[in-house]
Amino acid sequence: MKKLALFAIFVLIFGTMSPSLVNHAYGQNDPSILLRIAIQADKQIVNQLNKNYENEIPNNINNLYEKGHTAVKSLERSLSDDDIEKAKQDFLLAMNSFMQISRIISQSTEKVVVVTISEKSNRNMSNELDRLEKYVKTLESISKKHNEIEQSKDEFTKAYSLIKEIRNQITVSENTSKNITELKSLVNSIKSELRNSIAEKQSNAIKDFFEKFLVQIDQKLLEAKDLGRDEIEIDKANELILEIRELLSKNQINSAKAVYSELKIVLKNIGISVKIT
Amino acid sequence: MISLIEPTQLKNSLGDDGILFVRNDCIFDTMVKTPLLVASMIIVAALLPIQSSFSSPRDLDLIIYSDGTTHVSTEIDIDPFLTDYELNLFGSSIDNLVVVGDNGFLLDADVIDNTALIQTFGSSVITIEYDIHDLVSKQGRLWTFSLDSGTDFTLLLPKNSAIVGMTNLPINMELINEQNQLTLSSGSTEIDYFFSTNTIVNPIENTQNEKDYSLYVIIGGIIIIILASIIIIIRNKQKNVKVINEVIKIQKNDVLDLETIFKLKPDLREDDKELVKFIFNNNGQALESELRKKFLQPRTTMWRAVKRLEREGVIEIEKKDLQNLVKLCKTMEENN
Repeated sequence: MKKLALFAIFVLIFGTMSPSLVNHAYGQNDPSILLRIAIQADKQIVNQLNKNYENEIPNNINNLYEKGHTAVKSLERSLSDDDIEKAKQDFLLAMNSFMQISRIISQSTEKVVVVTISEKSNRNMSNELDRLEKYVKTLESISKKHNEIEQSKDEFTKAYSLIKEIRNQITVSENTSKNITELKSLVNSIKSELRNSIAEKQSNAIKDFFEKFLVQIDQKLLEAKDLGRDEIEIDKANELILEIRELLSKNQINSAKAVYSELKIVLKNIGISVKIT
Repeated sequence: MISLIEPTQLKNSLGDDGILFVRNDCIFDTMVKTPLLVASMIIVAALLPIQSSFSSPRDLDLIIYSDGTTHVSTEIDIDPFLTDYELNLFGSSIDNLVVVGDNGFLLDADVIDNTALIQTFGSSVITIEYDIHDLVSKQGRLWTFSLDSGTDFTLLLPKNSAIVGMTNLPINMELINEQNQLTLSSGSTEIDYFFSTNTIVNPIENTQNEKDYSLYVIIGGIIIIILASIIIIIRNKQKNVKVINEVIKIQKNDVLDLETIFKLKPDLREDDKELVKFIFNNNGQALESELRKKFLQPRTTMWRAVKRLEREGVIEIEKKDLQNLVKLCKTMEENN
């Protein structure tokens, strides 16, 4: 019996610790990855130094490189000695040294231009198109799941044709802005239509959810009234609940959702949390 | 003078100072059913990781495009009883946001600064995809990716990029379509990279065959635990059965079994057979008063029945504390 009890405790401890153990083991799966990355970084830094300084490497950079390069050699030894902890330290030291060098190089030898990627002018048009295509594909897969593809087939075909056209324009360096705008507008329209058509199918699930939710809110509003909370807000909430119920009965799910957003604010003002149990 | 007759248990449990010590090694057996305990602990152990991962991303995958824009895709377990879920985005410059709930329903989301308020309406898992322009900055020719993630994530770097610095230890690295994909642990991460067209012959070998065995290890572990528990429970049961069998053997070894008795005495009346069954099940003996109570018979009727069985050679009667103790005979002769 004692053995069984101990076994049960072992099961509990193992179960609790297993995810972290597994994660740890996975991290150690191939420590040579650290060496590969460090060697790659070392080579890249040597190239950058040769390119920017030739044989006149400043002392501070040279010292940093020596530190980094020595850490890479040490990393190699640590790995061959199976000293993983030391290998990790060596890796971080090497990468930190190379990071410092690369930052010094980009600050000192070039005209420093800090580019904000969020500015549209700095975005690569080809990448922008890749992302839009991915977006269209995501919408298409959602549409396929709900058998809505027939309805919006023409629009998807048009979107893909525009993407193809823009790619050609990029190849021949033509202005793509007009087509990009058209594509974005088309994609927004597809998304909007998709949302509306799926909302109808989604309506039963949402209706059930609202049903439970509104019953609880009714109860909470009664309690709030007993507690002497703001009556004007409580009346407002009751009106909104009525409105939601009416919209749901007419199957106007999106409108019900919009009113629900208003209701949430009112409930917050009254001090009612919106979570069904 | 100390009494020579003293119960052994009492003797053992009394200390020098007359303190009563009670053996407690059976309390566990008495109070807790071990199989139940093991099963509940397995359930608890299995649920713990699930519980700890509730409302946190299951997967987080990032793809950096060559212009620095990053595509984020994540899957999050959420509380199905919530009407909405507030998701912290990794920045405020967001494009192409798509949120999909259970059953592939497209969910509405309002993006305010770097949070998205998603109307979940009972969904328990949501998938979110968006493009973000805030994670990568560029200085000169050096690109820097920065992220403080609450969970492990994968990061697919652009083609021809070469890492020249990083602040976090990678968990894994793979080559996917000539692009390096890093698996990184949670926490703050900064990665510096250059684009290189002619200098780097990528030394990173394809490590795609290094599969993620974590799932197999977890499943294997759980299976082993369940099997071990089943084996232990079965062995425990067998032990109990053995013990019970032994007890029955010890108890019933010296009497014949019912089938044999009824074979040897085929002419027994049905009501007498019931008496024999009761005595047999009562470890082969019973007081006549017990029989009367059990079968609700008057004293004389029961006395006659007992005498009948005695005559048949099925039972023998002994006197015990002025009462009749009825015992099944150890040997019986066959009626012809």
